[in-house]
Amino acid sequence: MVSGLLLLALRAAPFPIPHSPFPPQDTTRGKAVYVKWCAGCHGDKGAGDGPAASRMLPRPRDFTGAIYKVRTTASGQLPTDQDVLRSIDEGLPGTAMPAWKDRLSERERRDVLAYLKTFSAFFQDTSQHIVPLTFSKEPGGATSAVALKVGRQFYDSIGCWKCHGKAGRGDGPSAPTLKTDPGEPIFAADLHESWRFRGGAGTADIYRRLRTGLDGTPMPSFSDLIDQKFLTDEQLWRVAQYVRSLSPQRAPEVRDVIHAPRLPGGLPRSPDDSAWARVERYWFPLVGQVIRKPRWFAPAVAGVWVQAVHTADSLALRLEWDDRSESPDTPWLEFERRVLDHVTSDDSVPAPADLWPDGIAVQFPRSIPAGMERPYFLMGTATDPVYQWRWTSMPRQAVAGLARGLSRFDVLGGGSAPGAGARFADGQWRLVLTRALATADTANELQFEAGRAIPVAFFAWDGSNGEHDTRMAVSAWYFLALDQPTPPRVYLSPVVAMAVTLGLGMLVAVRAQRRAGAGGDGGGRSRA
Amino acid sequence: MRKFGSLAAVVAAVLVVALAAWTRQPAGNAQGGATVTGKVKFTGAKPTNPPIDMTEEPKCKAKYTTTPTRETVVVNPNGTLANVFVYVKSGLPASAKYETPKTAVLIDQDGCHYRPHVLGIMVGQTLEIKNSDGILHNIKAKGVKNRPFNISQPTTMTSTRTFSAPEVMVPLECNVHGWMQAYLGVLPHPFYAITGADGSFTIKGLPPGTYTIEAWHEKYATQTATVTIAGTESKTQDFTFAAK
Amino acid sequence: MRLPAGVRRYAEHPFWQAVTILVVAYVVIVFVIPLLPGSALVPKSVVLQYMATVLVGVLIYVSDNEGRWHRFQDPIRAMLVERRLKLVRGGVLVAVTLLVGCFTLGQVRTTVSAPPNLRSIHPAPPADITFRGKAMTLTGLENPLRHEADSLAAHLALGKRVYYENCLPCHGDHLDGQGHYATAFNPLPANFQDNGTIAQLTESFVFWRIAKGGPGLPREGAPWNSAMPVWEDFLSEREIWSVILFLYDQTGWKPRTWETESGKGETGKEKGDG
Repeated sequence: MVSGLLLLALRAAPFPIPHSPFPPQDTTRGKAVYVKWCAGCHGDKGAGDGPAASRMLPRPRDFTGAIYKVRTTASGQLPTDQDVLRSIDEGLPGTAMPAWKDRLSERERRDVLAYLKTFSAFFQDTSQHIVPLTFSKEPGGATSAVALKVGRQFYDSIGCWKCHGKAGRGDGPSAPTLKTDPGEPIFAADLHESWRFRGGAGTADIYRRLRTGLDGTPMPSFSDLIDQKFLTDEQLWRVAQYVRSLSPQRAPEVRDVIHAPRLPGGLPRSPDDSAWARVERYWFPLVGQVIRKPRWFAPAVAGVWVQAVHTADSLALRLEWDDRSESPDTPWLEFERRVLDHVTSDDSVPAPADLWPDGIAVQFPRSIPAGMERPYFLMGTATDPVYQWRWTSMPRQAVAGLARGLSRFDVLGGGSAPGAGARFADGQWRLVLTRALATADTANELQFEAGRAIPVAFFAWDGSNGEHDTRMAVSAWYFLALDQPTPPRVYLSPVVAMAVTLGLGMLVAVRAQRRAGAGGDGGGRSRA
Repeated sequence: MRKFGSLAAVVAAVLVVALAAWTRQPAGNAQGGATVTGKVKFTGAKPTNPPIDMTEEPKCKAKYTTTPTRETVVVNPNGTLANVFVYVKSGLPASAKYETPKTAVLIDQDGCHYRPHVLGIMVGQTLEIKNSDGILHNIKAKGVKNRPFNISQPTTMTSTRTFSAPEVMVPLECNVHGWMQAYLGVLPHPFYAITGADGSFTIKGLPPGTYTIEAWHEKYATQTATVTIAGTESKTQDFTFAAK
Repeated sequence: MRLPAGVRRYAEHPFWQAVTILVVAYVVIVFVIPLLPGSALVPKSVVLQYMATVLVGVLIYVSDNEGRWHRFQDPIRAMLVERRLKLVRGGVLVAVTLLVGCFTLGQVRTTVSAPPNLRSIHPAPPADITFRGKAMTLTGLENPLRHEADSLAAHLALGKRVYYENCLPCHGDHLDGQGHYATAFNPLPANFQDNGTIAQLTESFVFWRIAKGGPGLPREGAPWNSAMPVWEDFLSEREIWSVILFLYDQTGWKPRTWETESGKGETGKEKGDG
């Protein structure tokens, strides 16, 4: 085989062109860096099978095949040194791969690059021309309605939606069947969370991924389409611009306090009520529950957007989270099976794939704490329970109850359930939960008060990802604040302060003028 | 020093050109006149291939009158097995070179199926990937010895690719339609055949010698046989795969 | 560099020098620093501190000699006095008044913010603990694996495996508390590369923190917030001591020993790589 490769190599390129812009590195030093910092995930032999690997989805890169997602080269080509260095330097957002730029010296990163290339015979074959594709400059008008319309049109016609879904949340009809080359389950990217894109969130990054594809994954290269004039290069840029427009400009900032403004009218009980459009959204990241057995290392819900409002007597929370399926959903069973097969479990017997519902929980303490003390964030304890609203997609309902740790949830009776209105559309749940600020059961149910910092936490389950019970995504404690309308007396002190300032200012000016008029040479050294 | 450097460069260049010329020595002299033929038989209960739900693709669905199924095991009416890749695994002289055919090998995406399901190609020979369906397919080659590729074909179009190293088999798949799979045998020589509707195969033009012939099937893995042939004789070598 | 006379008159004037320095400092702190690699936005309170420092420096400079001080005051005085600067005077007065108004409003308008979290980062450990039913005295306890010099490599290998299988999601590949799950938790996972964590602690303290996790913290440690699992539910005593060996080996820190603890000696620092 090697001889075959060599022969072919000679045939194809009698004069191999050196492709590395860097001088040859010492792989002994690279090995030392690799063994110390990389092998834990990528494995001693570079096969992507370090001790951490089986608890990660996506899996760490297997260097032996030299198949890289993020490249500037054509589909099937080896990456350039710069391509691999970029992944080392910047990391791969949305995965466990951190940015090593500030963690290892430039020398160490170069050395480790040289070493990890030794894992694959493909890099030894110097006949492989590693030539980056030529990328054009982004055409202007990225955010204009016309550009986005063209982008959307080609998003549909080149079939992006087949995997990424009509609205781009990774919920297309082919999404449940997707696998990587080694057969691991892989989500079609949620195009509304560009800060998690492996190769970067910029429009140019997206354009490059369209041109090169993500090798080893189902994401193909669309370069052939330009060659065959199915669409122009500019139109492909429009697709990238359209995709970019689906996400916020920047990664959402995590803020501690959800401010719930006071609404004069009625409470918006439907998730599609127009009143919500005017209310601030807050993003809370969720991660796998890796604290209590059985842990969960592959959560599907990356976070939840929360909005809150209140009226004189009631509170409404609107939760929006991206979820690729309206679980239980049979087409996803196969996907779920693959997830459970690939993620190491604390259970002796791996959990079987089943049709679980989706769910979300909103957690509060039973009463607003006076000091900093509050119940344990991970669903309280046996002696110090938390008050929770739990909503499930099947049966589609919300209940209120007390959680006493992860394994015990006591539903409160007697009409304690919060009002719930839910919609599922295009890979997203939108849910509004409502409750009166004050209730009769003051011992168990939180009594909401305006002007206080009320601890709140969130938990989510994606049934089609095999999530139920302790297999879930969790958040830390945050706060909910029911903002009081500003009383008029608040405006008094600024007015007083302004009057005093203005008066003092005028006084100073008048005195200075007087002195200048009287002194003549004293202060008035004006050069008119 | 500089003189020596340029001399070395000239020598190296001559060597490379000579080597390149040597590798391009004309083919044909490696070919012979012997033939290996045979049938691939199938015993045991004939498995049913899982049906495919093509509701998502009405254009493909319209091409079928009955429910389409996968082609994992295709047993012919005469009890033979189709889609078996039979090839000379070893025994050819190490120095033998075979010219890459100028004609392309065609794989068509038709009715959300790859046609053919199993195919062979020589190293360097062009593979034409055609999309007759006119709906989105992507074609992904998951070679290990060859570089993998994954290209999108959202319309009626033809793309071409070549393979650089012998590999049996390179799986081809479409990720839009998880059921679409094909297998491509990449060889450095032209001595291969694929069983069709009668389950037979013929490998022609073999030089005299002793060969290991391998029969590969998608589900039933491989079987090998050793065949010795002389001159222009034709030998029969049958294979039998049993249901599992 | 030769400046045109008009510009030079401003460039040499202490008042305009002061104004320029303040503006440049503000621009650098607010806009330039966040652009530097590895930096983040400077919080408002810090900006205020920096600007106050710069202002003090500027005042010291301009009041350093009598002549400069007078020249510095000139434009201010002119603005207050001169008839032709009537408009400027009015503008400054209104601007200052509005600024004061906005600032006061911001101060008096009550907005709910997250209550301060006064958490003790290294609370006092108990003298004794029960580890999986076995009584252990932490005071004076050392890592028993350090005495098994022959099998140290094996212990380290086990520690590394334990770390990558369990600790990585939060504490990260670089042991700096920036794993891919870290940002979802508050407090953030401990940064072992920092000189304020394991470098300051005895191995018995680290053992206690690992074995008992967040729920095992005393009240002053805010046990309700910590996402640190109770590792005695997952790991054996040997595994915990091994992972402790790994933490020190990988970061290059030396644990605080009981001798330095009692003598309040220096903390073991022998950090090679950064």
